[in-house]
Amino acid sequence: MAVDADVARLRRGDLNALSELIARYQNRLYRYLLRMVRQPAEAEDLFQQTWLKVAEKVRSFDVTRNFDAWLFTLARNLAIDHLRRVRPQSLDEPLADNGDCATVAGRIPSRDYTPLDTALAVERRTHIDEAMAALPMIYREALTLRFEDGMKIEEIAQVIEVPVSTVKSRLRRSLEQLRSALAGQYGEARR
Amino acid sequence: MSEHDKVRELLALAAAGALTAAEEKQVAEHVRLCVSCSNELDAWRPIATELRRLPTPQPSSWLLQATLARAEAKLAGEAEHVWNRQVVIFVVTLAWLQTIASWPVFDFVSPYFGSLLGPQFGHTWIGFAAFTALGWLAGGVAAVMLAVRQRGAGRLA
Repeated sequence: MAVDADVARLRRGDLNALSELIARYQNRLYRYLLRMVRQPAEAEDLFQQTWLKVAEKVRSFDVTRNFDAWLFTLARNLAIDHLRRVRPQSLDEPLADNGDCATVAGRIPSRDYTPLDTALAVERRTHIDEAMAALPMIYREALTLRFEDGMKIEEIAQVIEVPVSTVKSRLRRSLEQLRSALAGQYGEARR
Repeated sequence: MSEHDKVRELLALAAAGALTAAEEKQVAEHVRLCVSCSNELDAWRPIATELRRLPTPQPSSWLLQATLARAEAKLAGEAEHVWNRQVVIFVVTLAWLQTIASWPVFDFVSPYFGSLLGPQFGHTWIGFAAFTALGWLAGGVAAVMLAVRQRGAGRLA
């Protein structure tokens, strides 16, 4: 069933629609929050808060709007409020390593089959994950929404409530910073 | 800024698939002729590919169940809140209509009741105001008692 139909049912108070929407968005939303705050416990708490906010606000949701963008904007606002409260410096600057050697990518079970593939894949993921985690929050956000979530630039602009030109600028800068960090893996970083 | 420099700035976004149709055409035409930009674009592609291949972290089933339970309770609470609000609006509207409707009726019958009760009962408007105030007071007390009781039930649930 389409998202719009589920949202319409949810607005009428249909609990099954809520269950279906959570199932539909669970991975995308959790990944986005995890990229934003980096800590699984915090991402889990924000995940719950986001759906509570959906239950609270869905009756006032404008059905002509894109539900994806609305949902991710709710999540983003909660994540930013959380970061502002807990780690205000993380909104502007790269987050410091908290000493936990296991990265997000490292905690994800591999689906590769040969030991060599597994080792290479884990190494590759670890490199990218570490490089991404070292980026400022606004750049991590641009990368995850574009590459991992596959959102269009216009959709990202709706989620983070900035003009399309700003999204493109952030995306370009985030890629440049990521490439610099990965220079050792992919060769010389050229600009 | 030269055409080469302009295209150079678009290459990262080209790898990200974030260009407009016109920009894509501009880049495609330029990289066919410019080896340097073609190589640069090739350097961006593996980064974009790796980013798209990053595995998706999965939320635990416990988290999903807990989220669903809390969100369902919230949704039910919101539905009840909306229902209560509609009921209050209906009751208040009805009370006002009844008050306004009772005005001419009271005015019409008060001389008859007044003569039965005694000559002092001629103050129609004072009686009417007292009647209205008493009705609203009783309604207000009932609403407060209901709200207190509901809150208590909500805390226990």
